[in-house]
Amino acid sequence: MRMLAVFEKSERIRHIGHLDIQRSVQRGLRRSNLPVAYSNGFNPHILITFASALSTGACGLREIMDVTMKEEVSEAEFLKKMNIAMPPELRLIEARAVDDRHPALMGTLRAACYDLLIRDSEQAEIILTAIPSMMKRETVMAMRKTKTALKETDIKPLIYTLRGEGSHIYTTLALTEREACKPGMLMEALKREAGIPENEEVRILITRTALMGENSEGKLIPLEQL
Amino acid sequence: MNYNDRIEKILEKVQKAPRYTGGEMNTDIKAWDECPLHFGFCFPDTYEVGMSHLGLKILYGLINKEEWSLCERFFMPWTDMMAMMKEEDLPILSMESRHPMADFDVIGFTLQYEMSYTNILAMLDMGHIPLEGKDRGEKDPIIVAGGPCAFNPEPLADFIDAFMIGDGEDVMTELNRVILERKEKGLSRTECLKNLAKLEGVYVPSLYDVTYDEAGIIRSFTPNCPEAPETVKKRVVVDLNNTYYPEEIPVPYTEVVFDRIMLEIMRGCTRGCRFCQAGILYRPVRERSMEKLIDLAEKLVTATGYEEISLSSLSSGDYSCLPELIRELMRRMKEKRVSISLPSLRIDSVLKESLEETQQVKKTSLTFAPEAGTQRMRDVINKGVTEEDLLDKVRDAFEGGWSSVKLYFMDGLPTETEADLDGIADLARKVVNEYFKVPKEQRAKGLRVTVSASTFVPKPFTPFQWEAQDTIPVIISKQDHLKKVLNIKGVNFNWHEPYVSFLEACFSRGDRRIGRVLRKAYEMGCMLDGWNETFRFDTWMEAFKACRLDPAFYANRVRDRDEILPWDHIDCGITKQFLWHEKEKSQRAETTKDCRKGCNGCGLQRWKGVCRYANAGCV
Repeated sequence: MRMLAVFEKSERIRHIGHLDIQRSVQRGLRRSNLPVAYSNGFNPHILITFASALSTGACGLREIMDVTMKEEVSEAEFLKKMNIAMPPELRLIEARAVDDRHPALMGTLRAACYDLLIRDSEQAEIILTAIPSMMKRETVMAMRKTKTALKETDIKPLIYTLRGEGSHIYTTLALTEREACKPGMLMEALKREAGIPENEEVRILITRTALMGENSEGKLIPLEQL
Repeated sequence: MNYNDRIEKILEKVQKAPRYTGGEMNTDIKAWDECPLHFGFCFPDTYEVGMSHLGLKILYGLINKEEWSLCERFFMPWTDMMAMMKEEDLPILSMESRHPMADFDVIGFTLQYEMSYTNILAMLDMGHIPLEGKDRGEKDPIIVAGGPCAFNPEPLADFIDAFMIGDGEDVMTELNRVILERKEKGLSRTECLKNLAKLEGVYVPSLYDVTYDEAGIIRSFTPNCPEAPETVKKRVVVDLNNTYYPEEIPVPYTEVVFDRIMLEIMRGCTRGCRFCQAGILYRPVRERSMEKLIDLAEKLVTATGYEEISLSSLSSGDYSCLPELIRELMRRMKEKRVSISLPSLRIDSVLKESLEETQQVKKTSLTFAPEAGTQRMRDVINKGVTEEDLLDKVRDAFEGGWSSVKLYFMDGLPTETEADLDGIADLARKVVNEYFKVPKEQRAKGLRVTVSASTFVPKPFTPFQWEAQDTIPVIISKQDHLKKVLNIKGVNFNWHEPYVSFLEACFSRGDRRIGRVLRKAYEMGCMLDGWNETFRFDTWMEAFKACRLDPAFYANRVRDRDEILPWDHIDCGITKQFLWHEKEKSQRAETTKDCRKGCNGCGLQRWKGVCRYANAGCV
């Protein structure tokens, strides 16, 4: 069986990179004494995948891991043992036991919801006013970093929802194995739309609030419920 | 903005922010207001180095275990972080609750190596605490320090209020109680320091006066109050099985230098290598029982989730039931997929059997430390290892499937000649030959012999404490010679620049006066001296000049037998007479036997029941 577990990466440890988070979760699993499955081979490792890597500097309210268990474990027991074994900065929120045949998380991931807090309230006001005009455009261009180069991409079709409130921007952005709009790309486009010079720093706190998949009716729902 | 918001703002821009974030597993903070005593543990180097240090984990756990005391960590920020903190006027903050240093009752530095001394000043400065003890007021914390370098406390005498000499876990709680008493009874700083001086193993430098002759040699060293003892005896934990050892330790998020469980299987060493300071300071040898170690290992694995345990000590191969211990640990850890590693293998004690067992888990490179290239030189330093021993072990390793071997040597040892340097190359060549003697189909591919040479630094409390270090030009010419003769196929040669070793020599045997140079160098911008990219030798030399002190006085001068050495008032258990005797034997290339084969009368026999190999009345 596999356990899909929803966990939080707190603001305090937002600068910890994905690989370090992975290792910390694995050590947590080892501390928990839960019957996790290991890979075969010379250097056995815990069979675990993450729905999506969360970038360094971002917090996550509902990140998802997928752990293969070698024995049946109840969701309640998994949660209880893991929350004793994990630091408060990496808290588990929900667990859902699924069959081994449950599709891989990464393949079903469609989008992610973000809460982008603009630290400076004056900048926030200017940027938030630019949302409607930007969304009226046919295309919204932003630079996408690939492994080797910077590539200009139209992110308009990748923005599913976008609204502002106070100093926050709430948005749902495409996130699949093929294409993605990173919060930084959205901010770049918004800054340009708002007429803020490129070299002016806009401090934001990125919180990824949910990872979304698509149900049979084509509706976006939280990935862990799929 | 409060400290938290301000540091968070900086962390967005700094390199390697995880160094500063905290919140690691097993660092759940105690409530600040519920603990009357606040101890700030300072490691005067970066997070990655500090979090690899066993002593930190022991004392951190020990202080936090007491209901009335709390321990939080401070590390040395990197230069980028320091610059931003300065710009923001942000003081250095503890990792756990982010309190500034000045809010703590006691700040404790661990002194692991001399080249971290400027970092101590930098950290105090960032903590807005006056650098020198004499300038501190009633509201400032008491600044203490311990660790191996505290055995010569004099270079730091101006900056540290009290030193803990010897095993920290033995004295820590007593020291904290005295400091708590200051707080509760509102005692003055001076009263508190005098009370600290009454504790065995605590040295309060301000309670002693020093005079010097025209040459700068100490003329007298005397206590200036009745509370200060003539000599300060080091603290010794007699039974390691009944002393505190942490059962849960912080687990960093990011990889640190030693990212694993360190299981201290014993303390001390009976070998008596004459260059080795730790070998003297950590005497007598004390072992943890196998039962205790297995119990600790299981608890630590459960509490940390670490994948690796390293057995740690000065000479793990000497542990009396090493093969049994390794076998039992491996048996119990197999299911948990925890590997066992032996970091400091001594070539004359590695058992073939345990070699084979470690390889079952992981095949890394093997390290041997013959230290010198010829038998004569090894006899001078009392490194009881023969060429035959070394080659036997190397052959075993090659036959066992290893192809990577590291060999550690020193250059600049007392009485060293060119023949001794050539001996290093001969030995390296013989190691290479051993590899090719193993049939091709039997040996692992890719022979790599790494020869490392470091420059000898004479240390206090060793038989070489009276010796001169080679001057920098001499070291350079010796290293050039080594580069030439070690140009051997299959051999890589690493050497260290002599400049750091020279400064290390100045400070390891420094007196109180050299503290001025330390302060000057810090004010001129020296810090993080243990790192190549931040070490500024020229500035250090300017600081010596500005203070009118000659570094050669400390590094390159031979001392007389009757000279008062700056650390003579510290009693590490081993007598000066024994050390002098050892020095004389070294000059005759005469060896001294391992203590396990009979007491050599080092002085510890005076302390009843401390050393299991001691029999009073010998030598």
